[in-house]
Amino acid sequence: MRENMQESEIRAKLRDWIVKHTKATGKTAFTDDTHILEEGILSSLDIVEFVLFIESLRGEDVDTDDIEPQVFTSINTLYAAFFTQVT
Amino acid sequence: MTQGRSLRSGFLRSAEQHPDRAALQLDGVVLSYAALRQRAATLAQTLSVHAPAGEPLLTAVFAHRSITAYAGVLAGLLRGHGYVPLNPGFPTDRTRGMLVRSECTSVIVDAHGAAQLGEVLQGVERPLVLLLPDHDDVAALAAQWPQHRFLGKADLADGSAWVPGPVDANGIAYLLFTSGSTGQPKGVMVAHRNVAPYIDAMVQRYAVTEQDRFSQTFDLTFDLSVHDMFVAWEQGACVCAPTHAQKMFPGKYITDCGITMWFSVPSTAVLMNRLKMLKPGKYMALRYSLFCGEALPVEIVQKWAEAAPQSVLENLYGPTELTIACTLYRWNPQTSPAQSEFGVVPIGEPYPGMTLLVADEQQHEVAVGEAGELLMTGPQLTLGYYQDAQRTAAAFVVPPGRSQVYYRTGDRVRRPAAGQPLVYLGRVDNQIKIQGYRVELGEIEAILRQEAGVDVAIAVGWPVTASGADGIVGFLGADHADTAAIRQRVISRLPPYMHPSELRLVSEFPLNANGKVDRKALLATLARQAEAVE
Repeated sequence: MRENMQESEIRAKLRDWIVKHTKATGKTAFTDDTHILEEGILSSLDIVEFVLFIESLRGEDVDTDDIEPQVFTSINTLYAAFFTQVT
Repeated sequence: MTQGRSLRSGFLRSAEQHPDRAALQLDGVVLSYAALRQRAATLAQTLSVHAPAGEPLLTAVFAHRSITAYAGVLAGLLRGHGYVPLNPGFPTDRTRGMLVRSECTSVIVDAHGAAQLGEVLQGVERPLVLLLPDHDDVAALAAQWPQHRFLGKADLADGSAWVPGPVDANGIAYLLFTSGSTGQPKGVMVAHRNVAPYIDAMVQRYAVTEQDRFSQTFDLTFDLSVHDMFVAWEQGACVCAPTHAQKMFPGKYITDCGITMWFSVPSTAVLMNRLKMLKPGKYMALRYSLFCGEALPVEIVQKWAEAAPQSVLENLYGPTELTIACTLYRWNPQTSPAQSEFGVVPIGEPYPGMTLLVADEQQHEVAVGEAGELLMTGPQLTLGYYQDAQRTAAAFVVPPGRSQVYYRTGDRVRRPAAGQPLVYLGRVDNQIKIQGYRVELGEIEAILRQEAGVDVAIAVGWPVTASGADGIVGFLGADHADTAAIRQRVISRLPPYMHPSELRLVSEFPLNANGKVDRKALLATLARQAEAVE
């Protein structure tokens, strides 16, 4: 239960960050499946900020050399890639 | 009609010599020269069958990072037309304006473009022929827009029926709209005979072979994309176009695709540095790394040189009006830092056959060591602005005592001493008068970068006055910084009239359509806040 709380909290934070920074208008229906690297949602500058944000959330660096862009497909894939190994 | 070599010539020759080699890699698909030629010929032949007689010799390509985008560019050229790139990433009003002003009748549209047709076609009265080769069914579009002709997959003609027609070397190879200071984009007409010497110079300088793999970081509406495509295709090399998602992680793209020829705006390298992608020895396969489009900071180039130790680094400079790039400078880790001014890498020397003039406001040459506006002439001097004689005459001038037409770049440069490379100082309009003093904003920006330890810092004159500005506001690309302390250090190094009255932190700089920092947007922020206060 506690872990679930944490998960939902992280997901909410990721979602809030994207909604706050998105360039797209009318993206109220943003879900954990929404494709966030699609044109017009986040700029390349946003990605830099977003990676730093993810690092701050997990308390650990993200190795950008080895990231597959697919990892940034949605909040679901982000959570799986960056937050599931946290003990 | 002057016939001979045109922009398509190199591609067609490579398609003969290397039909099975990769010409284009995009989103996991590799297209051979033969396949890309076949696609392009199919589009060209289809339009030739359906397009009305007497149309202007221009074909628009409303597409983005798709096979249809690249085949569309080539299809325009195979028709003997110039191509007009339109960008689905741009506001639809802007795209419509370009489409209307270009007077194009034929438009090739990919899926990205198709999604926006509903808005772009609003109010377009001239009957168009729109080719959507990725669309199975165009009946709905045809019903919605009865004045236009829509062609879909079912209408595609047999590409093998295409036969090369004549091309006028003086004709337009591409018509590219650049932003005008008045807000109305200007269509720059680049002729085949302008591009040919550029491509020759690049192929020779970089000894390009069919083994090379070129990055394509630029959208087709940015003329640096012409370099990637046509320098590569001239020699049978491969163009690697990252998707929007792949573009976000350029480091991984370089290594995954085995890029040998990198070309981007410096801002991309700045972002890579922030994402810790410039680790030493990371990009061993890069033979050349080229940067163009904005001032190249010394700190970034030094980082890049460590990350790509086998790579030659070059700083290219040039406006669209002088065909892609017209001066270049090779980075030398020993001598270049001392040749750089304000922490910015020099722009070097003119391309072969190009002549430069550093001039004062009356277009008289200034002495070596003095700053002035850069004017250039030579084979890469383009034909001017499409159907805009007035603005062409204002920018393409014959300076006093000269016999040739020169293009006024609007950029301030200086040759510090005879034999030293040309340095870039900023836009003529980045030199402003503050309380009557002439101030180079680039100088303030260099000191801001050094004292704040940031990659990007922008200084703007604010508040704006009739004669210039009353003061300076500095923007630092950082989330957290002690701005008061930084300001103290900065003002200790500058005369009082150059002191920033305020430093602001910007976590993300607004970028214009070509990925460069948008100064006007920063000024607009200040203006909006001032209004809100009043």
